[in-house]
Amino acid sequence: MKIKELKEIIICIYSKINENKDYLTKLDQESGDGDLGISMVSGFQAMKDYMEATEETDLGRVLNKCGDVFNEAAPSSLGTILTFFLKGMAKKMKGCSECDLDGISEALQKGIENIMKKAGSKPGEKTILDSLFPAVQAMKSPEVKEPAKEAAIAAKMGCEKTREMKAVWGRAAYYGEKSFGVLDGGAVVGALIFEAANEWKNESLLQEKSLRS
Amino acid sequence: MKKIINTPEKYVEEAMEGIVAAYGDKVEFLNGDFRVIVSKNCRQVGKVGIVTAGGFGHLPVFLGYVGEGMVDACAVGNVFASPAYTKMEAAIRAVDGGAGVLCIYGNYGGDKMNFEQAIEDCEMDDITCKSVVVCDDIVSSPKNEWRKRRGVAGIVYVYKCAGAAAQQMYSLEDVSHIAEKAMKNVHTIGIALSPCIVPEVGETTFQIADDEMEIGMGIHGEKGIEISKMMSADEISEVLMEKLLTDVELQKGDEVSVMINGLGATPLEEQMIVFRRVAEILKGKGVSIFMPHIGEFATSMEMAGLSITLFKLDQQLKELLRFPANTPFYTNVNK
Repeated sequence: MKIKELKEIIICIYSKINENKDYLTKLDQESGDGDLGISMVSGFQAMKDYMEATEETDLGRVLNKCGDVFNEAAPSSLGTILTFFLKGMAKKMKGCSECDLDGISEALQKGIENIMKKAGSKPGEKTILDSLFPAVQAMKSPEVKEPAKEAAIAAKMGCEKTREMKAVWGRAAYYGEKSFGVLDGGAVVGALIFEAANEWKNESLLQEKSLRS
Repeated sequence: MKKIINTPEKYVEEAMEGIVAAYGDKVEFLNGDFRVIVSKNCRQVGKVGIVTAGGFGHLPVFLGYVGEGMVDACAVGNVFASPAYTKMEAAIRAVDGGAGVLCIYGNYGGDKMNFEQAIEDCEMDDITCKSVVVCDDIVSSPKNEWRKRRGVAGIVYVYKCAGAAAQQMYSLEDVSHIAEKAMKNVHTIGIALSPCIVPEVGETTFQIADDEMEIGMGIHGEKGIEISKMMSADEISEVLMEKLLTDVELQKGDEVSVMINGLGATPLEEQMIVFRRVAEILKGKGVSIFMPHIGEFATSMEMAGLSITLFKLDQQLKELLRFPANTPFYTNVNK
């Protein structure tokens, strides 16, 4: 993966989040304050705009800046958590203009570790980690065959599991027991990110095939 | 929604412009950015900088305490939402006079995470930062987990003591030690009688029945511990003081400062009626009151209700509380 591919992936993620804006808003109204759809679209839009304009080739620097612009556009709790994710990845990728699959998995792992360290949360607490964590585990598995697809499936399954969890963080936690049965908005965003990345992968495979034929 | 505004989107910006128009002799925007307000002459060589930040909609908290003898800079978010860490970072950099910066803020997820990121970035450039996270709302978590409590009106006392120490050129170590001590000595509990409306939402996001009140509700409408039928001022004072006094250990001869804080739509008269009973209760316990603070210190827009804060004092804290402070929204000359 180089900047070009990263740019394409980020554009895909932005489109996916934008398509799901109303759904995210509705979800958040059930257990949060209803600004999830708006803030996520603002955040990803800012990141997309930056990616389209930048001439930087260092993946680490680009991701770090993505974190800054995301946070400025969406300083909500989830926005900041996603910034930690980006900045954690950025540290790992600093100095690289290209990255292979192992490198990407490693960076994603660092992103998750940065969230856990800074936000103090862990998987199982009805947050975005419940989709991000299993997705990255799936990618890192020695038996992995189709990393993007398997990660997307794991993220989706992890997200579904948040229904059975009780919220301990943020405004959702004030709903306590009532949070059972409701999906976590953050986990949905995490699943959408990997879903979009997988769709980008399929798309680019198709393009490769058509180029060869 | 019945609010005196132009458009919800401009709520923060236009209110901020009003503040600078009114008090431009004391405060200004940092490089023209309404998201960061700084005290005039905020960077003094050798003086510890005091920075705070938080969501809008609680005036005078947070930015109202930017001024002489209190806070040097404040980053401002949207209504009930943390500012971005880049704004906090700008505030920290603006006030660093080489002696380090103390960040004082309320215990909320968004503010905390953003501050941590801002501090990490500033430390990369060798600015020494410390933070004191205020968690004075006693009903938001049990006593054995008090660090999880939310920060509310008690933060004003923490600003006051830390600001006074910084003004007297104490070291960062000492200022943060004092702020931490003050923070551990503030305890607050509130009641709400009516909800508030976030301008961009345009309607109330929670309800309180006409004949009811919610004990322990947070300043963003976070669920309290008990919904009860409306009570008299004396009964309210007694219920709140009983809960406070099981949390704060006070003995005969102790001294406290008491803050009665209106949430936005509660008349000063009603706050005085509550203070009257609170003073009686403390007197009955042999506890004396030093420099009471009665008025609006941390509001929730048009929410009706109030909070009571007890700030347990020792000689050092008393002197710091007495030390002059003068900001657009606070002075202790009249206390």
